[in-house]
Amino acid sequence: MNKSLSALRMTAYASVVAAVGQTAFAGEINVIMEEVPDYDIVAKLTEEFTAANPDITVNFDAMPFDAMRDKILTSSLAPSASYDVIIIDNPWTEEFANAGYLEPLDDYIAATEGYDYEDFVPSLAAISSVGGSIYGVPYYNYALGLIVRQDIFDEKGLEIPTTIQDYMSTVASLTTDDFYGAAMQPQKGYKVMEEWKNWLYANGGELFDENGNVIINNPAAVTALEQYIETFNAAAPPNSANWGFDEALRAVSSGKAATMLSYNWMLPALNAEGGMAGDLAGNFTLHEVPGGKAVLGLWSWGITANSENKDDAWKFVSWISSPEVAKRRVSMGGAPVRTSVLNDPEVWEQGFGEAYYKALAGILEDAAPLSTGGNAEELIEIVGTELSAAVNGQKGVQEALDDAARGVERANR
Amino acid sequence: MQLKYKFILPLALLLSAVMLYPLAFSGWLAFHEYRLTRLDDVHFVGFENFVLIATDPSFLNAMGNTLIFVLGAVSLELVIGLSLALLLQKLNILRNFSRSILLAPMFVTPIAVGLMFRFLLNAELGVIPHYLSKIGITVDWFGPDLALFSLILIDVWQWTPFMLLMFLAGLEALPKTPYEAARVDGAGPWLTFSRITLPMLRSVIVVALIIRALDAFKVFEYVFAITRGGPGNSTETIMYYIYQTGFRFFRMGEAAAAAIMLITVILVLVVLLVKFSQAEEARK
Amino acid sequence: MFSFRNPISRAFATLALLLAVFAVLFPFVWVFMESIKPASLGGRPDLWVFSPTWENWNEVTLNSDVPFNILNSFAIALVTVLISLLCGAPAAYAFSRFRGFESARYSILAAEMMPPAILILPFFLVLYHLKLIDSQIGVIAAHLTFVLPVVTWFLIGFFDEVPRDLENQAMIDGYTRFQAFYKVILPAVRPGLGAAGVFGFVLSWNDLFYALLLTGNESRTLPVAIAGYWTFRGVELGKMAVAILIAVIPVLALSHSIQKHLIRGIGGGAVKY
Repeated sequence: MNKSLSALRMTAYASVVAAVGQTAFAGEINVIMEEVPDYDIVAKLTEEFTAANPDITVNFDAMPFDAMRDKILTSSLAPSASYDVIIIDNPWTEEFANAGYLEPLDDYIAATEGYDYEDFVPSLAAISSVGGSIYGVPYYNYALGLIVRQDIFDEKGLEIPTTIQDYMSTVASLTTDDFYGAAMQPQKGYKVMEEWKNWLYANGGELFDENGNVIINNPAAVTALEQYIETFNAAAPPNSANWGFDEALRAVSSGKAATMLSYNWMLPALNAEGGMAGDLAGNFTLHEVPGGKAVLGLWSWGITANSENKDDAWKFVSWISSPEVAKRRVSMGGAPVRTSVLNDPEVWEQGFGEAYYKALAGILEDAAPLSTGGNAEELIEIVGTELSAAVNGQKGVQEALDDAARGVERANR
Repeated sequence: MQLKYKFILPLALLLSAVMLYPLAFSGWLAFHEYRLTRLDDVHFVGFENFVLIATDPSFLNAMGNTLIFVLGAVSLELVIGLSLALLLQKLNILRNFSRSILLAPMFVTPIAVGLMFRFLLNAELGVIPHYLSKIGITVDWFGPDLALFSLILIDVWQWTPFMLLMFLAGLEALPKTPYEAARVDGAGPWLTFSRITLPMLRSVIVVALIIRALDAFKVFEYVFAITRGGPGNSTETIMYYIYQTGFRFFRMGEAAAAAIMLITVILVLVVLLVKFSQAEEARK
Repeated sequence: MFSFRNPISRAFATLALLLAVFAVLFPFVWVFMESIKPASLGGRPDLWVFSPTWENWNEVTLNSDVPFNILNSFAIALVTVLISLLCGAPAAYAFSRFRGFESARYSILAAEMMPPAILILPFFLVLYHLKLIDSQIGVIAAHLTFVLPVVTWFLIGFFDEVPRDLENQAMIDGYTRFQAFYKVILPAVRPGLGAAGVFGFVLSWNDLFYALLLTGNESRTLPVAIAGYWTFRGVELGKMAVAILIAVIPVLALSHSIQKHLIRGIGGGAVKY
C-alpha cells in the first residue's frame, strides 16, 4: 500500500509541519464504539478495568453507526492510529483484514492464560477468521430469530412454523383487514437483503458457489424471491414496501402484527415491563427462523495494525471479552457470544430467562453471515436494490436477480 | 498591491485555505483508480472513471431523479412562497404571528425533518395517513409511484420559508408609485400583479431560485433518513450516489468523477439561467 | 397596492394563509406530543389519547449531552458566521465597487456548488494531521466552505444598494477609502450584515454531513446528536422529539425577534444580483 499512501502522507505532511508527536501517550488507548445499549454496559464495566489497571486510560469515542466506517478508515490510513481498538461489523471483516488495517490476534490469544478462545460460539468466531488468521474476537451477536406473539398463536392453537412453507401459510392465515401475520422489512439495501436471505437459505440457495461463482440468479434464488414476495403480499401490511427495522418493530410492538424476523435481542426489549410494547409485554417469544438456517450478524473487537499501543489494547480487549467479564456483561443485558455464558443458569436468572438463551443457542448453531468477501458492503447494497425493485413490481423476479448478479460481478471485477 | 485586491485578500486567502487542497485532490482522484481499501493499487486511468460513471445506469437514474427533485421542489417553493408572501402582505391580521410560524421550518435540521416525516407519513403508524384514512383516502407515500414526490413535498415544507423570506423582503422594497398609477388607470389585481409586481420582483426571484436550486442539488438527508434511495432506486439522488460510491464502497476515483460531472451540469444550468434573465433584462 | 376588498376573496385568502400555518405547525405539534408520550405508545398514530409524561424531557435535558451539543452548534455557527462576515464584507464591497470583478461575483457561488461528499475526505486527512479531528475548529473550517461564499454573495447586493455618494462624500471629508468603508459604508449595511449572518448561521446550524464525520465526543453538534437517536435498535422517537424542540425554540425566538430587520435587510439590497 505504499506508493499512494506515501503520496497521501506527503500532501498531508506538506501542509502541516506540526504533524509530529501524535502518538497516544503510553498507557492510553482509544476505542471507537457505536452508541447502543451494549456500549453503555461496556463503559460501565470498564470502570473496573481502569481501577485495576491505573496505568491504562481507556477513552471511548461512541458515535452513530453511519459515522463509524469512515472514522475507522481514516484512522487506519494515517501513519499512527487514532483508534487502538475498533469494533468491526461482520461485512467489514474481510475488507479491513485484506486492506491491512487489522492486527492478527493469534499470538495474543495463545499467550493469554485462561482466555478460552474455543468457548466462543463457533459460527461467530468463524466470521473473524480470514485466511487462517484471527482478526477479531466476538463482542456481541445480532443473529436473526423469529419473534412471535405467543398469546395469539396459543389462542388460535397454532404451532410455531419450522419451514418456510409453514411460515407462509401461518402468517397468511393470521392476516385480517387490520391485523397482519408478518411485519416485514423490504427497505432497499441492507434490510431487504437481511430478511430475504432467510428465504434463500431455506431454499438451499447462496450468493456464491464453492468456486466463487455468483449464483444469486439460480432457480433456488428465484423461488426464494417469489416466496418472499408472496409472503409480503399475503401477510404484510399494505403500503409497507419501504419499511425498515423501525416501522416493523413498531407494528409488532403496537399489536398490529403477529410475527417479525428480527434481531434476537429485541425479545427482551419487547417483553420489558413498561417498555415499548406496553400491555403486550410478556407475550412475545423467540424461535429459530423458519427453515432453520439464520442470518447472522456480529460485532467483534479488533486491534488496528497501526496502533502504537497494541499490548495495552489487547489487555483491554482480552479483559472485556474474557469468560468472567463476558458473563457479567450478558447478565447486565448484553448479547451473548460465549457458549459457557449461554448455558449458565446464573446468567439465565439475572438476564432474560432460560427460554431466551436456549432459543438463541439454537439459532447460533446453524447460522451464517449476511455476506462475506472483500466487497460485502457493496454487494449487500447492489443485491438489496434489485430485491426492492422486484418487491415493488418495478422488475420481474428473474430480471431483478440477473441484474443483481451482473452488479455483483461488476463490483468484484 | 492595488487597493481593490487588499479588500478581497482575506476572502481569497481563507477560501483557498479551506478549499484549494480538497479541490485539487478531488480533481486528481477523478483520473485515478483509487479505492481506499486498495491503496497499493492506485494508478492513473485517464478518463476511465468518467466512462464508467457515464455508462452506469444507476448514475444516470440518480441524475434524472435529482433533476426532477430540483425542478419539482424549487418550482413548487417558488409558487407557494410567492403566494404566501402576497397573502401575508395583504392580510394584516395575524401578520407577525403567522410570519414567524411560516419561517420556522428552515431552522430545523434536515435530518430531523426527514425522520419526522418518515413517521408522520408512514402508512400504518403515521398520523397523516391515519387521519386521511378516516375520510377514506389511502395513499402510499413511500411507494414506487409517489416516493420521489413525497421527498419533494418534504423539501417544500422545509424550504418554502426561505423563498417566503426573500419575497417578503422583495415586496417590502417595492416602490409605491407604479401601483398608484395602476389604480388610477383602473387596472385589476391580476394585471397589477403580472405587469408590475412580477417584473419588479424578477431579480429577487432569480436570486432565490439560484440559491435554492444549488442547495436542492445537494439533497441528502431526506433520502438518507427515509428511503435510502428506494423503492428500487426510484429516489436515489446524485449526492446519495456519490456518498454510497465514495464512502460506503470506498471507490473514491469514481465518486470524484461523478462529482465533477454533477458540477458541470449545475454550472451549465446556472449559466443558462443567468444568460436567460439577462436577455430578459435587455429585452425590456 | 391592491388588497382583498371583496369579503369572499378575503375569506379565501385568510383560509389559505391559515392552511399554510396549519401545515407548518402540525408537524411541530406532533413532535411535541411525541415528546410527552410514554415510551410504550411512541410512534402510534393516536395524537391525543394518552397520559402525558415528562420523562423524555427530564432524560434529555438533565441526563444527556444535548445541552452541550446545542452549545457546540451555537458556538460553531456563531464563529463561522463572524469569520464569514469579517472576510466576506470587504470582499463583497470590492466586488460591488471596483471594476474587473464582474465574473468574480458569480464564481464565488461556484464554491458553494461543491458536493460535500467529495470535499470531506481530503478535509478529514488534513484535519487529522493538524490534530483537529473532534475539535470545533475543524467543523468551522468545513462550514466556511459553504457559508463564506453565500454570505459574501448576499453582501454584494447590499453594497450595490448603498449610493456611491456616501463614500465619495466621506473621502472628500478626509477619510481614506478603507476608513470610508469601515466607518460609513459598513454601518449603512448593518441590516444586511444581520440578514446574511442569520442565513449563514442557519446553514451551519443545520449541517449534518460534515459534522457527522468531523466531530467526536468533545465537539458533537446538535444534528449529529439528533441523528444519534436513530440507532441500530430503532429510533428513540420521544427523546429525539425533545432534542428537536429544544433545538428549534431558541433559533425561532432569535428569528422572531429579528425578522423585521431581516426582511428589511434583504429588501435593502440582497435581492439584486
